[in-house]
Amino acid sequence: MMAQLLVLIPLLPLLAAVLLALLQLAGRMNGDGAEKVTAAIAVSAMALSSLAASTVLIAGWLHPERLEVHHYGNWLAIGNWQIAFQLGGGLFNLSLAALFALLLLIVMRFSVNYMHREAGFHRLFALLSLLAAAMLLLVLSANAVFTFIGWEFAGLCSYSLIAYAYERPTAAHNATRVFITNRIGDGGFLLAIALAMVWLESSDWQVINQHASDLDKVDVTILALCLALAALVKSVQLPFTPWLLRAMEGPTPSSAVFYGGVMIHAGVFLLIQNQLLLQQAPLVMTLLTVSGALTALYSYWSGLSQTDIKTAQAFATSGQLGLMFISCGLGYWQLASWHLAAHAVVRCYLLLTAPSVMHNTAAQPVRPVALWLSRCRWGFLLSLQRGWLEETMDWIWVRPLSRIAKDMLSIEHKLVAPLLAAPAPLIRRIASIAEQEEQKIGARLHNDSDVFAQGSGLAGKLTQWAAAVSQRFEYQFILYGIGRDSIRFGRKLGHAANRIEQLLLQPRYITLFVLISLLIVLGS
Amino acid sequence: MLNNLPLLSLCWLWPLLAALLLVLIRETEWLKRWLLLAALIELLLTLLVVWQFNPADAGWQLQEQRLWISSLNIHYQLAVDGISVGFLPATALLTLMVVLAGWHAEPRLPRLHFGLLLALQAATVGVFIATDLVLFFVFWELTLPPIALLIGLWGQGSERLFAASLYTLTMLAGGVLLLFAIVLLAINHADLHQGALSFSLPDLLATPLTLARQHWLFGLLFLGFAVKAPLPPFHSWLPVVAMQGPTQLTAVLLGLKLGLYGLIRFAIPLAPQAAEQHSDALAVLGVVTLVYAALLALRQTNLRSLLAYASISHVGLVLLALAAFNQQAMQGAVMQLLNFALIAASLMLLAGMLYQRFGSNDLLHLGGLAKPLPRMATLFFALVFAGLGIPGSSGFVAELLMLLGIAQDFPVLAAVVLFSALLAAAYWLNYLQQAFWGPLKQPALAATGDLLPNEAALLSIALLLILLGGLLPQLLLTTQAPAIAAWLQLIKL
Repeated sequence: MMAQLLVLIPLLPLLAAVLLALLQLAGRMNGDGAEKVTAAIAVSAMALSSLAASTVLIAGWLHPERLEVHHYGNWLAIGNWQIAFQLGGGLFNLSLAALFALLLLIVMRFSVNYMHREAGFHRLFALLSLLAAAMLLLVLSANAVFTFIGWEFAGLCSYSLIAYAYERPTAAHNATRVFITNRIGDGGFLLAIALAMVWLESSDWQVINQHASDLDKVDVTILALCLALAALVKSVQLPFTPWLLRAMEGPTPSSAVFYGGVMIHAGVFLLIQNQLLLQQAPLVMTLLTVSGALTALYSYWSGLSQTDIKTAQAFATSGQLGLMFISCGLGYWQLASWHLAAHAVVRCYLLLTAPSVMHNTAAQPVRPVALWLSRCRWGFLLSLQRGWLEETMDWIWVRPLSRIAKDMLSIEHKLVAPLLAAPAPLIRRIASIAEQEEQKIGARLHNDSDVFAQGSGLAGKLTQWAAAVSQRFEYQFILYGIGRDSIRFGRKLGHAANRIEQLLLQPRYITLFVLISLLIVLGS
Repeated sequence: MLNNLPLLSLCWLWPLLAALLLVLIRETEWLKRWLLLAALIELLLTLLVVWQFNPADAGWQLQEQRLWISSLNIHYQLAVDGISVGFLPATALLTLMVVLAGWHAEPRLPRLHFGLLLALQAATVGVFIATDLVLFFVFWELTLPPIALLIGLWGQGSERLFAASLYTLTMLAGGVLLLFAIVLLAINHADLHQGALSFSLPDLLATPLTLARQHWLFGLLFLGFAVKAPLPPFHSWLPVVAMQGPTQLTAVLLGLKLGLYGLIRFAIPLAPQAAEQHSDALAVLGVVTLVYAALLALRQTNLRSLLAYASISHVGLVLLALAAFNQQAMQGAVMQLLNFALIAASLMLLAGMLYQRFGSNDLLHLGGLAKPLPRMATLFFALVFAGLGIPGSSGFVAELLMLLGIAQDFPVLAAVVLFSALLAAAYWLNYLQQAFWGPLKQPALAATGDLLPNEAALLSIALLLILLGGLLPQLLLTTQAPAIAAWLQLIKL
């Protein structure tokens, strides 16, 4: 009974999402009339899911001894490795599922009125339902692979909703950028899964956490570091904080549910879920504390000068998340989980009311920044420019990478392509010479007086033509070409060598070499 | 009755027969219908092969054998195993998709065009089922004329003749190496069996080979197949062909990676110790290909060359997975090869549909297409995300398996694989953003229609299969598992 209820929690919103997407693709969902149907499908599925989540939670409270992980079958089995679909876990998972389901339900109900007659009404509900399924799977799954599936789908929904108004270039650009930044965290998560599979032969959270102490110290640290990277990116800690500001592009309900109430907390959830593993890796715990503290300071300072309500909320969110990271890093898991739940509720409420605050204060002038801040010139600038964080990251990562890509392209065109296409100019030249010769021979053929050049019949003409072509070939390439071209070729080679040396001395390549040698050292 | 039918022979003979019958038909409309019928029957035949196939058996199945050239002991020998059986329906389905995608086009010389498509299908199926090396080589070389002619006669670019000759010369060079390798194998067999030649793959697999000869053999076979795969530095024909050739053909070239299949089927099992010794070099080449092609893809503005480089990058990933030599990585690699037929080929066909409507695949001319073409945008996004390995798609399963396998042998390289996944997201999403989002760049062109029902249907079929592979991967993986386990056994011996 419990097993069935548990699976319904993510399944119902998923079904609603699929149904809505199919109806919309079939062209059945258009205009005002269909809004009621869409809302009814999404909200009722969410309400049932929320009801199921609350029931499971209450049952868990009443009978904590009966809490268990339910096994539904293997999704993947290769050799002795199995990845099973399992749901369940401790009271923490169940409470978060109930809380998130409730918040999602509230936001959906809010959107029915708020998004009325907006373009993309139906799309929004399909995506919100999908997000609900993803988040509920994320918190309920007892297997890292399925948590990752929820994680990735939540990211995908976030991408689609940032680009809600996709005709606007900024929205489109921000969506792309946010998704790519999030991929860094996804990479960390996947690497953690792969390493856990190799070292512990399992991707169950329970096994990973219980057997973490059996592992080598270095291995545990690497594993914890990968998970921490995933959490840092998803929960906007330094240096990944700027993606949150770009993500605020979406409509209010989506901001409330993604970056206020639900998705943004996935990183903290991941840390709390893996507390036993993290405790084996003090280095990573320190990193979490430091990153959390820096994020909290950074968010506070940058938040001081923000005049736009959504940006201010975003900085408040990242600051609070920073505090949660500090608690996690110091080992106060209980505090972090209560903080998470409380913050989810409050931030969701604040973001939902943001539009009406704006509406009520529309005519009022914006409150100026504090006097002490305006006097401290560099501090003010730092706050206004948000620490130049994004520009710095661009300078460190994005630009060198795109320059390397450019260099690779010129290598491709100048070195690699000619290698294969070496005979190509030859073919072309032969083709054009053949054409010329044909014309010449053709001209002579009409001239009856020149008997010598005349071949008779097909064979004769072919011989004549071949002779002319090979004579020309000999003349052009063997006698003439090689002698002169070899000097030019040598000179070109010298230039190329100079250029390569210059290129190699540039910082991006030096960094690259250092990185590669580091990788080799690590690998051996 | 079914048991007596030479099913595998039918699989390659039927497309040829259908191609010959095209001569009898006069009207273009009927030519198309016949082509569609032929492709459907071929799909049924290959599905029949899969149905007859026993997944629990690791060995060769549905064998057919007849003496072909007695003086050289060359046989007409066909068989399938768990590794190759999936490629038959993949080939048939891909051809069917290609036929459907070209339904509204009116090619010049339709009879020749359709005939060549069917001939290519016959030769490709032959490559997958031949177990005599000479027969394999014949099929391998027979894929060349249809491809060269299709590029040369129906290519889109102005340099299509150059592309055709480049392809021909490159492939001929690769073919010569393969021929040398085959002769080397036969001579080795003769040395050990009192001068008796043999070209049969099962025989040759059982024949021991000295390590020195294995190195030569592996080098020859690897180079021969690397040209076709394509692996750097022999890859530059693929972008040229993708830009100049007809999209229908490039979809086949991107979808069916014969070169990698050759590596799995012949190069590695025939020279196992040499392959094992060179596994580090293979892994490094794989990683370099993976990152190098991804970086190049980052600079492409044309969808077709982007697809070509993305596909080369994935070839690098598969090579890296092969170099890990374990069950997980191998299963992922074989699954990824099948994914190419669905994902990369579908994207190429979509590029063709885009080209038909706008006359360009370049970002210079495209922008804001999501509004006028919602159906195309939806399918495009879905396919791209499947290619990026989003969960729920078969791409995710293949990439996860490869990653798990690679992490066992080369944990550091696994991190590089994930870095290249980041690059992949960058080049794909950048293209999507610029082509489909933002303001409409050419309002005059917005009136061109969205995808037609048959176009949407064929892509939806691919998408459904991708979804099926992602949700229930065991269906496919259990078919391959015994054969791949046997394959690994061969190498570890």
